[in-house]
Amino acid sequence: MKYGSRAPLPWLLPLLALGVYVFLYVPIAVLVIFSCNKSELPFVWEGFSLKWYTHLWHSPEIWHVLCNSLIVAFSAAFLSITMAVLYVFYGTRRMVQQLYITFYASLATPEIVLAVGLLNLFTLFSIPIGLLTLIIGHTLLGLGYVIPIIHARYQELDKQYMEASLDLGASPGQTLRYVMIPLLKPALLASALIVLVISLDDFIISFFCSGGATQTLPMYIFVMIRSGASPVVNALSTVLLLLSSVLVLLFSSLHIKKMDLLR
Amino acid sequence: MTGLSKRNLKQLFREQIPFFLSIPSLIWQILFFYIPTILIIGLSFVAMTGYGFTLYNYWLCCTVTYAFIIARSLLAAFITSFCCVLIAYPVCYYLALSIERAKNFLLFLLILPFWTSVMVQIYAWFFVLERHGLINTILLRLHLITQPVALLNSSIAVYIVMIYCYLPFMIMPLYAQLEKLDTRLLDASADLGATAWQTFTRITLPLSVPGIRTGFFLVLVPSFGELAIPALLSGGKQLFVGSVISQFFISAREPHLGAAFTVMSCIALAAAVGLMYMAFSWFSTPAERNAL
Repeated sequence: MKYGSRAPLPWLLPLLALGVYVFLYVPIAVLVIFSCNKSELPFVWEGFSLKWYTHLWHSPEIWHVLCNSLIVAFSAAFLSITMAVLYVFYGTRRMVQQLYITFYASLATPEIVLAVGLLNLFTLFSIPIGLLTLIIGHTLLGLGYVIPIIHARYQELDKQYMEASLDLGASPGQTLRYVMIPLLKPALLASALIVLVISLDDFIISFFCSGGATQTLPMYIFVMIRSGASPVVNALSTVLLLLSSVLVLLFSSLHIKKMDLLR
Repeated sequence: MTGLSKRNLKQLFREQIPFFLSIPSLIWQILFFYIPTILIIGLSFVAMTGYGFTLYNYWLCCTVTYAFIIARSLLAAFITSFCCVLIAYPVCYYLALSIERAKNFLLFLLILPFWTSVMVQIYAWFFVLERHGLINTILLRLHLITQPVALLNSSIAVYIVMIYCYLPFMIMPLYAQLEKLDTRLLDASADLGATAWQTFTRITLPLSVPGIRTGFFLVLVPSFGELAIPALLSGGKQLFVGSVISQFFISAREPHLGAAFTVMSCIALAAAVGLMYMAFSWFSTPAERNAL
């Protein structure tokens, strides 16, 4: 016990903490249990069976949706990180550096405003809505998270490495490739994971910028819940849960917390 | 400018390469965030029939119904944020200041739901709130109720799930703040004879205000524009800002009205955020107030 005994009502504190864990994990636990349900109805328990996982595996629709989601997520991650690295490395001009603040604006705006603005822009210039517009939207979302992270890490770096590289005759491009990117590797991996998770999870921008023809996973689940869920969704949700747990484990092994975002 | 030969221009261009390489992200931001935002604001002043400046869109949106929808969304966002503070504070305090053992593991468990898809989180709550779901089953078994209670399709369901989904946004900044609290201050306070409550209200709580503030805004802003949770759980009975905006733009295809409504709700949100910011600076320590 460190300072717990000095807290007001010390016996209550662990109970309240336990309550939060129960609140967080009971719905997830019930979901996982019901994904192994035999019944045709998603919410009625009949007996143990893994048949919905085989249904999930053999559903071409879900593979297609997953494929869309992954294309969008990886493209958004690649684009936003490439642009962020270029911005941070080459943005030596004062004017460019001062414009850094503009990237915070998209984080402070409700996502629905971003989505409506993008939809309006696409209709105005009659850009067909689909995978491309999804990638544009998710890259915008990703930039807002990635630039602050990479910028902060770059500021912490010892600039002497870069100066030494330039002094020894390496071009800026070589310095970027062989010095800066290896030094920033943990931050780059962390940013990539964050953009992947945000993009795979995003609903609002996908809802506005995809036009229903190109569905992503969250939209697929949304439509399924709306039209009366089938037990396949239970299995799909459980798989997604497992996937994100694996991602977090990867992440914590990198010793970078998402908390870094909030600094 | 005649002095610039072709070679000089080439030279000039080569010197500018770093500049050109640095601006794609800025261009992206301007093209897909600032220009669309300006277009939305502009659109809200354009007459529905075509061209010309008008305030008619705003006039159409100035009805009691829409005012109620904005007020309801603000209320929901505030209730969500307040409940998140109340729920997150004890557990963050416990993890940051009370325990040593298994701290990292418990923190990991606390953050994990943040990484799971929001849609999965919403779906999980159906199993709890359903007519034959967990809560109804438990209450029936305990003979507290004789018939299942309809928990889905109510504002209670919307609030519970909003709190559930946004709780991690409160936990992270709050935990970070409490973690870096200088515990010597608590020692000093206790040594000087303060009771536990006095130490808490005069030292711990004021020093955690920055974390609470960050978390509060991280919850308030996105929960104001939340779309999926009300759409799935309110049963269409109650409209929130997100659902109205999506109706205007997607189903009704009235972008002019939608733009006016979006601008109005953003102004309401900005006013609420400004007021809360002032309220927080009132609660914070004098030293911090000077820094602001």
